[in-house]
Amino acid sequence: MTIAISFGDLVKSYGKFNAVDHLTAEVQQGRITGFLGPNGAGKSTTLRCLVGLADPSSGTAEIFGKKYRDLENPLSKVGTVLDSRGFHGALSGKANLKVVAAAAGIPDSRVDEVLQMVELADAADRKMKKYSLGMKQRLALAGAILGDPEVLILDEPANGLDPAGIAWLRKFLRSLASGGRTILVSSHQLAEMQNTVDDVLIINKGKLIAEGPKEQVMGQGTLEEAFLKLTGGELS
Amino acid sequence: MNLLKSEWRKLVYVRAHWGLLIAAILLSALGTGVTPVILENSRDTFGFGLDQQQAVDSVYANAISGYIFAIIIGIMLMAGEFRHGTAVATFLTAPKRGTVLANKLGMAAIAGILVMVISTAAGILAGVVGMSFYPDAADPSSEIFLNTMVAAVVSGAVLGIIGVALGTLIRNQMLAIVGALIYLFVIDPILLLLWPDAGKFLPSGLITGMMALDINSPELGFDTSNYLPALSATLVLLAYGVVFAATAIATSLRRDVE
Repeated sequence: MTIAISFGDLVKSYGKFNAVDHLTAEVQQGRITGFLGPNGAGKSTTLRCLVGLADPSSGTAEIFGKKYRDLENPLSKVGTVLDSRGFHGALSGKANLKVVAAAAGIPDSRVDEVLQMVELADAADRKMKKYSLGMKQRLALAGAILGDPEVLILDEPANGLDPAGIAWLRKFLRSLASGGRTILVSSHQLAEMQNTVDDVLIINKGKLIAEGPKEQVMGQGTLEEAFLKLTGGELS
Repeated sequence: MNLLKSEWRKLVYVRAHWGLLIAAILLSALGTGVTPVILENSRDTFGFGLDQQQAVDSVYANAISGYIFAIIIGIMLMAGEFRHGTAVATFLTAPKRGTVLANKLGMAAIAGILVMVISTAAGILAGVVGMSFYPDAADPSSEIFLNTMVAAVVSGAVLGIIGVALGTLIRNQMLAIVGALIYLFVIDPILLLLWPDAGKFLPSGLITGMMALDINSPELGFDTSNYLPALSATLVLLAYGVVFAATAIATSLRRDVE
């Protein structure tokens, strides 16, 4: 199997505190990998190091063997959703995406396409601040797939979604994965992750505590049971 | 070019930027439109009236009053990214921060020039209208319009760049804008008044120097012969731009994006 994403002895420190503590892990190409851990485990910090928004204190975080900053036209390789922010509230969803599209050299026609894909076409011209949280998440997903990337990195994409939204997200991720894309997704919704992911990475206090195919990590129980056992019941 | 296009879209899509342009036009037009009335009615205070060229030149020099809005737009282009969280999308799309900053500085310079040229032209037009009510007034000096427009272009570009640099250093947009206003309206004029030898090297003094005015008002303690010559003032102001641009790029490279 080809390695899409790799972390090599990654450390991110804030003062004396290691938010990410010597993390070494790999994500296989073409699979959906769940990135799990309690609140404050270091998931978001790890993902920020991966996409170059935070500088690692030491170690590496690479996509297809390169630092994110060294990728040629990164939006065509990697789509990222870090939170529902990232867009200007006073601009419409469409205008927000057109700003990003221009920066990446993507034609405006693609903006209409992705808005259609995330079922936001009807709200395209509405100001982003008037979107519900679920709509903001969909807009963020639209931004992530704007460049038709091979890899998707999603930090808590189900946050704020109602059950219908979660079902929509599951279907959406599956449709993206069926096209051979690699998806690294962090979430607290373990039951949902059990239905969605192929592999899991579990971290706690910045350290990797489990890695592998979902079935192997779960054993005979559920993903939630395995997670609670591994993290000492720190599920939040 | 893609990044510049994206920055252009950020500039024109956000309504607040249009509001700042309108405010700059109104301030400049008000400055030149009202100054003839003030000068003519306060001849003793200023020590000169509209029958003297220096008074008429000072009317048109007020057309440049909108420069504060060039710096605010620069601040908003950068600090606004952190305020609205769009910095994440910006640096994910173009992770080479030096390149992003270079394009942002370029767009801030363009925006500053546009704001200053449009507002200064509006100010000059309002000055012409205002002066038309005083048919016995002296003629303005032959260089005042050209010098004022050149000062508008250079100060617009440099102040836009300084705004981006401030927005990079102070990511809190409101704090950066308030800081810039306090500096330009309080600290800078005080320094200019108390230490004119040092004050002439500060932004307000340099912008005044660039207009090559010939005004001497002992009543106000204002004598433009103390300022740098226009060319020197232009070069020093441009040097400010280079230093602030370099600071912005160096700072952005080191800090994590939240």
